[in-house]
Amino acid sequence: MTLSPGETVLEALLRAGVETPHSCRAGQCQCCMLRAIDGAPPEESQRGLTDAQKALGFFLPCICHPTAPLKVVAPDDAGAPQEATIRAIEPLSEDVVRLRIETENFSYRPGQFLELIAEPGLSRHYSLASCPEEDAFLEMHIRLHPNGRMSRRLMADLRSGDKLHIAGPRGTCFYEGVAADQPLTLIGAGTGLAPLYGVLRDALRQGHRGPIRLYHGARDSKGLYLTDELQALAHARDFTYLPATLDTGGDVAALALAAEAPRAAHTAFFLCGGENLVKRLKRDLFMAGASMKAIRSDAFTPAG
Amino acid sequence: MSSLYERLGGEKAVNAAVELFYRKVLADGRIARFFDGVDMEDQIAKQKSFLTMAFGGPNSYTGLDMRNAHKRLVAKGLNDSHVDAVIENLDSTLRTLGVPEKEVREVATLANSVRDDVLGR
Repeated sequence: MTLSPGETVLEALLRAGVETPHSCRAGQCQCCMLRAIDGAPPEESQRGLTDAQKALGFFLPCICHPTAPLKVVAPDDAGAPQEATIRAIEPLSEDVVRLRIETENFSYRPGQFLELIAEPGLSRHYSLASCPEEDAFLEMHIRLHPNGRMSRRLMADLRSGDKLHIAGPRGTCFYEGVAADQPLTLIGAGTGLAPLYGVLRDALRQGHRGPIRLYHGARDSKGLYLTDELQALAHARDFTYLPATLDTGGDVAALALAAEAPRAAHTAFFLCGGENLVKRLKRDLFMAGASMKAIRSDAFTPAG
Repeated sequence: MSSLYERLGGEKAVNAAVELFYRKVLADGRIARFFDGVDMEDQIAKQKSFLTMAFGGPNSYTGLDMRNAHKRLVAKGLNDSHVDAVIENLDSTLRTLGVPEKEVREVATLANSVRDDVLGR
């Protein structure tokens, strides 16, 4: 598609009959947002977006006058599925397994999520706990549901060496736009630890200097996992690991809020877990003074 | 003469105002319930576009958008007293940010001009 002189990307798309949601046409409402997967959108067209969105090539077509060709996709386009090989399926706790898979040319940031396609009609989203610079595999932490179709498939049928497909990555819950000296606080429950583990390792690898605190909540001590690794890492790399279990009165959200509220205004937050937990933390931390741009989150919605 | 939006400080002023304004609105017992279950990031983008309009900045405001956006809330009982509360919070946000009285009143007048659209009248 060739733009007429002075035309914005949005105007060109609409002229060509491409259905593109839009409203303000002034770079304010962000409802026309697209993503460039080839070529760099002009800085001006990324006004008001988060650093994570900018890093992924998101831009606002209503204020975009490109100076070079752009290849654009819808913001939630995960691309074509590609083949991956299972390298390991092993238990992390009573009901969480670690899945490691290998694939070619899958570029991602730790903390993003992907779509795992076990067979046609059976796919789920899982966060990435691995780091591309350190791991030759993609790692996911998967909670097993007794009647879950994906859980049954993973436990009963799939073995190391088997093939499946993945698509993505997606999500903006990764270490970007955090100042190296800023306090960094990661709060998660259950398998919400997976993306946080990825972000934590990425932050350490990139030389984060500010204090780091990782809160991990679970119903009881059996729900915690990776505790030895995290304790060892906390010891070696100087961050604070704060596990909390409900059966001992440790509501992770309440504990984290009480401790974090006084310094919320200067802290970068990553929140991962169930929808209620994430919503509550996001709202309360914002009300305590955290800037919305400094709160990155990923809420899980359960699937069968 | 420069526009109100420019006199207030343009996009920078909107950015400074939006989080403070939204924090005040969410803490206001008279209107907080209308934001229950609303995605905050989404809402902040909308507040930004509302403030840009209230400041008389670049936007293509149509009454129809405002009507549609608030239809669900009118059904939940949104009325003049709630619009008053929102404008009150907007005033206090601008005062906190040191905006002169004359401009505060101008913003309130602009915000008031969309009252009928918001309430679907």
